[in-house]
Amino acid sequence: MAAEAAAGAVVEATNRFADRVGLGWRPELAAGILSNLNSIDVLEVIADDYFDSSSRLRSLKTLAAQAPVVLHGIALGMASTVRVDRKRLEKMARLVDRVKPESWSEHLAFVRAGDIEIGHLAAPPRTASTIDSTAANLDAARRMVGSLPLVENISTLIDPPASDRDEPTWLTETAAASGCGLLLDLHNVYVNSVNFGTRWGFDAHQYLARLPLENVHAVHISGGKWIGDAGHRRMLDDHRHDPPDPVYDLLTELASRCPNSLTVILERDGSYPPMRHLLAQLDRARRALALGRATA
Amino acid sequence: MNTPEFERFLATLYVDDRARARFLEAPLAEARRAGLTEAQCRALESIDRIGLEMAARSFSAKRAGKSRLPRNH
Repeated sequence: MAAEAAAGAVVEATNRFADRVGLGWRPELAAGILSNLNSIDVLEVIADDYFDSSSRLRSLKTLAAQAPVVLHGIALGMASTVRVDRKRLEKMARLVDRVKPESWSEHLAFVRAGDIEIGHLAAPPRTASTIDSTAANLDAARRMVGSLPLVENISTLIDPPASDRDEPTWLTETAAASGCGLLLDLHNVYVNSVNFGTRWGFDAHQYLARLPLENVHAVHISGGKWIGDAGHRRMLDDHRHDPPDPVYDLLTELASRCPNSLTVILERDGSYPPMRHLLAQLDRARRALALGRATA
Repeated sequence: MNTPEFERFLATLYVDDRARARFLEAPLAEARRAGLTEAQCRALESIDRIGLEMAARSFSAKRAGKSRLPRNH
C-alpha cells in the first residue's frame, strides 16, 4: 500500500508538468528514431544542416509533420564582441519560418573571429562587455527571426582568460540582459565543474543552485570522457558516451526546483549504441525527472 | 575587457600551432606585439596553458572531422 501511494504521488507530481524527453536527430539514428517515435516525445534538429539544401529542408518538414521538432543552432557565435553575421541569421530566420519549430536555440559561444574559423564552440571571456555584446546579438536575432532563442551553456577545456566573473554569474547576467530563456546543458555544468570547480570554489550542485532556474525551459544531457595525462586530466564533453550518474542526479535536482515544464534532449554524436540502449537512457531521464517533480 | 581584437588573438591561439608556440615562449611579448591592452596582456600571461593545448587539439579534431564528414557536429 505504501509503495502504491508513493508511486501515485510521483505520477501526480509528474502530471503537474508537461515534461518531455527526446533525442537529438542525427542521420545515423534516423531509422531507429522513425521506428520508435511513440517512445520519443520530441526531436531536436541541428538547424545549420538545413540552411543550404532544399532537399534536406523538404525532409525536415516531413519529419516535423510526424513529431514535435525544436531547432538547435551551432554556429551563429552569439557570445562575442563581434556582431553576429547577418547572412547566417537570415538563414536561421528562413528555416524557422519554413519549419515552424516549437522553439529554437543557440550556444553562448564564439566560433570565429574575423576570417578565423575556430571550428567549434569556444568559451568567451566572461566580462561585462561580452554580456552587453551578446545581448545585442541576441536582440538582432530576435528582430530577424521573430523570436529569441533559448541560450545554452557550453563546456570548455580552458577557463577563458580575462574573465572577471564565474560561469553561473555570467550565465545569469547574460540571460537577464538578453531576456532569453536557458537551455541548460547539465553535462556541461558537470564537466566544467569537474574541470574548474577547485579553481572556482564550487561543485556542480552549487553551480546549479546559483542559476536562475525559473529561466530554464530545456535541458541537454550527454556524456564524455577523461583526456590528458595523470595529474593534468580534464573531462571532454564528446557526446559519444552515456550521461554519467551525476548528470541524472542534476536532472532530478533541477526538476525539484524548476517551475517550468522541461524539454530534455539526449545528445549523441558518435559511438552509436543500439536504439534500445538510447531509449533506455530516455526512460532513465524520465525517472530522474519524476523523482525530482515528486519532491517539488 | 573583452574586445574583437582579444577574441581574434584567442582564436589565433586556438587554430595556429606556430602562433601558439611563439606565444607560449613569450606570452607577454606576443600579446603586446598584437596591440592588446596591458590588462589583456597580463591576463594572457597567466593563461591556463594545459587548457589551451587541450582546447586547441579538440578544435583541430573538430575541424578535421568536419572536413571529412560535412554533417558531423
